[in-house]
Amino acid sequence: MSHAGKGSDKNNGKISHDARAEIKRRSAEIGRRLEAARPTAQEHSQSNGYGHSASHEAMGRALRLSTELIGGIVVGAALGWYLDHYLMPYLFGVKTWPLMFIIFFLLGSAAGMLNVVRSGMKMKTGPSAPARGRAVPDDHSDDN
Amino acid sequence: MAAEGHGHSPIEQFEIRELVPINLFGIDASLTNSGAYMLIALGLIFSFLYFSTGGRSLVPTRLQSISEILYEFIASTVRENVGAKGMQFFPLVFSLFIFVLVLNLLGMIPIPGVTFTVTSHIAVTATLALLVISIVIIYGLYKHGIGFFGIFVPSGVPPALLPLLIPIEIISFISRPISLSVRLFANMLAGHIALKIFAGFIGLLLGGGIWALLAPLPLALTVALTALEVLVAVLQAYVFAVLTCIYLSDAVHGAH
Repeated sequence: MSHAGKGSDKNNGKISHDARAEIKRRSAEIGRRLEAARPTAQEHSQSNGYGHSASHEAMGRALRLSTELIGGIVVGAALGWYLDHYLMPYLFGVKTWPLMFIIFFLLGSAAGMLNVVRSGMKMKTGPSAPARGRAVPDDHSDDN
Repeated sequence: MAAEGHGHSPIEQFEIRELVPINLFGIDASLTNSGAYMLIALGLIFSFLYFSTGGRSLVPTRLQSISEILYEFIASTVRENVGAKGMQFFPLVFSLFIFVLVLNLLGMIPIPGVTFTVTSHIAVTATLALLVISIVIIYGLYKHGIGFFGIFVPSGVPPALLPLLIPIEIISFISRPISLSVRLFANMLAGHIALKIFAGFIGLLLGGGIWALLAPLPLALTVALTALEVLVAVLQAYVFAVLTCIYLSDAVHGAH
């Protein structure tokens, strides 16, 4: 803060008058590019202050993918199994095993892939994608 | 791995032990090591936030800036994923994040015979996930009424495909709390088992005569794994918070 800082400042100023102008120009350039890169992020106020490094975000998303797929399959299979063994015999008195199990296993796999595709899309378009999706009103909307 | 009585079993660390037996109207509500860890976490969180924000100086002290960074971090996550309207859920997301984070990190502090990772039990993570999904459903119904179920109807597809797509959407919705809870629980469980197994190799090799020369290898791996586990602990808490936000955004915005 005190003497050392001022001294080095003076040195910098003395040595590189052109360099300082160059730095100013470049920082303005970076600012302009940032503005262009996320025009919709502004409505979310001064959000991006802390934390989010890009790799942190990406790794968090990558860790999600595996369980997304498995979750869908497991839920589908369990639902089908339950329908076969309890609900169908109880409601209609028919034994449908393994029909419902097979159908819901396939549906569950589709749901799992849907989960993966959705989080994958978000990974591709970056963290501010949901915000951008909402900002455009007539966009076809995947529900986040 | 099962060297009985030597404490080398890699899953021994997940055992739930009763500390104070409590019986509430026939319900076993004993204080276990899991519950004790949760209470310790609550105490830590409360006292940290209380003392660090007590000064409320304009130029923050170190502690105060830690809690300010935590606040800003979660606030920006909520704003990005739910939008400005979602800030009413900030207390929920912040509590979940900080609770999971502190529990994960407390599990990383090795105290022989005591250390316990609360979040490595699916009963805990599933409860948290069910809390989140219940809030999503209840708030969604309160806000949008029956129209909340419109999130199950994807827009812009031919009506002939709807009988196929609606079950898929419903299964996808039901799978959310499951993948949410399984992800956290499985990551913590697997990480701590791997850590214990590799640490166990050190002792086994040291006791194996000439093989003791190889003992530094698993030691180095254990050190590296410990660092990785700390990363996973923080990351999983963050993932839990982000997913909570994404699910809440459905409840806030409803069907598009």
